[in-house]
Amino acid sequence: MATQLRDIRPTPSLLERAAGAVAACDTFFAAAKASVGAAVTARGVDAEQYAAHGLAWVKVYVESLREMHGWAERLEAQGAFHEREQLILGAAFAEYLARLAGGLPMSQGEVIRPQDLYLDDAAVHAFTSDPHVADLMLTGWTAEAKTRLGQLIEDGDFGNWGLDDESLDMIRDQFRRFSDEVVKPHAHKWHEQDQLIPLEVIEQVAEMGVFGLTVDEAYGGLGMGKVAMCVVTEELSRGYIGVGSLGTRNEIAGELIQLGGTEEQKQYYLPKLASGEILPTAVFTEPNTGSDLASLQTRAVPDGDVWKITGAKTWITHAARADLMTVLVRTNPNEKGYKGLSMMLAEKTRGTDENPFPDAGIDGGEIEVLGYRGMKEYTLSFDGFEVAKDNLLGGVEGQGFKQLMATFEGARIQTAARAVGVAQAALEVGLQYAKDRKQFGQPLFAFPRVHGKLAWMAVEIMIARQLTLYSAREKDAGRRCDLEAGLAKLIGAQVAWSAADNALQIHGGNGYALEYEISRILCDARILNIFEGAAEIQAQVIARRLLG
Amino acid sequence: MKILVPVKRVVDYNVTVRVKADGSGVETANVKMSMNPFDEIANEEAIRLKEKGAASEVVAVTIGEAKAQETLRTAMAMGADRALHVETQARTDTELQPLAVAKLLQALVEREQPDLVIMGKQAIDDDSNQTGQMLAALLGWPQATFASKIELVEGGLEVTREVDAGLEKLWVKLPAIVTVDLRLNEPRYASLPNIMKAKKKPIDKLTPEELGVDTAPRLTYVKVEEPPKRQAGVKVADVPALLDKLKSEAGVI
Repeated sequence: MATQLRDIRPTPSLLERAAGAVAACDTFFAAAKASVGAAVTARGVDAEQYAAHGLAWVKVYVESLREMHGWAERLEAQGAFHEREQLILGAAFAEYLARLAGGLPMSQGEVIRPQDLYLDDAAVHAFTSDPHVADLMLTGWTAEAKTRLGQLIEDGDFGNWGLDDESLDMIRDQFRRFSDEVVKPHAHKWHEQDQLIPLEVIEQVAEMGVFGLTVDEAYGGLGMGKVAMCVVTEELSRGYIGVGSLGTRNEIAGELIQLGGTEEQKQYYLPKLASGEILPTAVFTEPNTGSDLASLQTRAVPDGDVWKITGAKTWITHAARADLMTVLVRTNPNEKGYKGLSMMLAEKTRGTDENPFPDAGIDGGEIEVLGYRGMKEYTLSFDGFEVAKDNLLGGVEGQGFKQLMATFEGARIQTAARAVGVAQAALEVGLQYAKDRKQFGQPLFAFPRVHGKLAWMAVEIMIARQLTLYSAREKDAGRRCDLEAGLAKLIGAQVAWSAADNALQIHGGNGYALEYEISRILCDARILNIFEGAAEIQAQVIARRLLG
Repeated sequence: MKILVPVKRVVDYNVTVRVKADGSGVETANVKMSMNPFDEIANEEAIRLKEKGAASEVVAVTIGEAKAQETLRTAMAMGADRALHVETQARTDTELQPLAVAKLLQALVEREQPDLVIMGKQAIDDDSNQTGQMLAALLGWPQATFASKIELVEGGLEVTREVDAGLEKLWVKLPAIVTVDLRLNEPRYASLPNIMKAKKKPIDKLTPEELGVDTAPRLTYVKVEEPPKRQAGVKVADVPALLDKLKSEAGVI
């Protein structure tokens, strides 16, 4: 009888296989970039939109896996890479590698296959036959893995974020509790009754220091950076997207003034923004101008010691209650493109329910929306609305577009963190329902297609979170991160929608009832793929950057 | 008035605790830890006394492994002025027992000379509810336990206690030990500015040896087990059947 030979080579560790797979991903991306690049050079980016946007999505997946590997390495170094995190890593690689090889969804119904990227069989074969890729695809997300991860998240521990920073951990703990106690119990009522978030809650958020988080210490802020902002934003958004989004407006106004304002403007406005004394709103979009901001039409004309603003704006969040509007206007009518645009710091009187827009020269109407309530959306019409001459941001005309662009990184990162928070809310609500609801003599959670859904949510949320935190770290290190922030926002929005949809599915018919929280979370999640750069324009910007 | 607030790092109250496979205790590795909720209430009360102008300094103290410093940082982010950390490798839910803790606190009280020690009535890990009482006995100080209200009065404190029969009011002279119950107050959240400030507040490190205290356990944990699973009930046909079962099986009537 022949002796059974054993394989005595050391098995590559999960981390080694993940590192190998990331290297294979880089090769795969390089091949895709070359083939898509050739097509775009030949026929232009618009004719090749599927290929170009597909390439952007390939980048999303590759960077997601790179960050997951980095996260796992950091945990390993801390002695904190345990079974839960190992399963999450394996699942992320198995599923995302398979999507790269076989087809990745840019949206439901738009799946990018290797042939859409003009990749030949040899490139795909090289990728799928890489031993690390092949092994992870086969072993990372088996039925057993789904059930085991399901067991491990059942008590509400969804894996270590890997912050490895005492202060960030404390911030997370405090805001988690704040969100659970002050926000979450009321969010559904605010949504159902289409209420503004009560001012007392906004005051509490202000007292917690949220509005001054990233404002320089010299101007009354905390100067804490974007990683801390992500942690705070995720926890608040987990309670309610509206509360997690309060800070977005401060983030935009704060960055506009911090980066583009005169010294006087900084000294006057930043401390008031940081303390929450004034609530800002961003007034950019127009009825005919969304993603194509450079063509906007609202005019500001100098008249004595004021500017007079005339034109129509829309999708202005929290407009009635805001004290300060950052309004993008055209000050030079002879310059049709972005060079004719300027940013105004337009002060207004805070409105009430009875009289939402008390000032002369401004009026507005509420836009009723599916979700993302709590601050309300408005159309605004300006008819000679006056802004003090000194309130031109930076004191120089024609800088508006540039000033706005400088804030996009921060706003995208913050939006990605909002998406992760909404996704996490869906996961937690779905998990609770799955444990409470009994069918066929056992909790829904016991069924593989229920706990498997929840386990996958935990995996993808960790992916989106790690990519978001990565872009925040890049921003904090002073590096350009528009690409990273865009990738994080794209995946975050997709993950949030998918988590909300799946968590609603777990609720069955009850999820379709307005009284269940998940119905709101689904509506809230839907906005994430649209605002702060719709998924398509986001992919376009990323593709241009990759191919440029 | 100077206030000392002992705080303990325990398994977070939201965590479903699991017994270790070997039955030696509950699993604390890779489990979320946070400040004992009763100690949070004690810390909050001390900070409120300071904010009212009744106290001049709030000193938080913890006894435990290096990571217990996180708990002190939280206490300071809530508003404590500074902190003491008595570092020990002993497991604080089993090996470090109330008498040893009380002796360590006694030594710290002798060093710090506080006028008041406010602490949780018990920790949610071992649920001993002994340390405050033992500390009072060791120091020979008056004690008021299970406080649901604390008021400053001439020469001391008026403490409302939650007892089985209702509410009881005690008057204690200072210095004193007060242990607090759940309804005394609702602890605040640490705000971002205060979390940043806490990073700069000092933590003094000490060891049981420096304090001259033998912390060897006096009790041995024999075995820790999960509570038994709840047994399924039975349906009875009518009241006579119920009475019969209560008499013959349950033996309660």
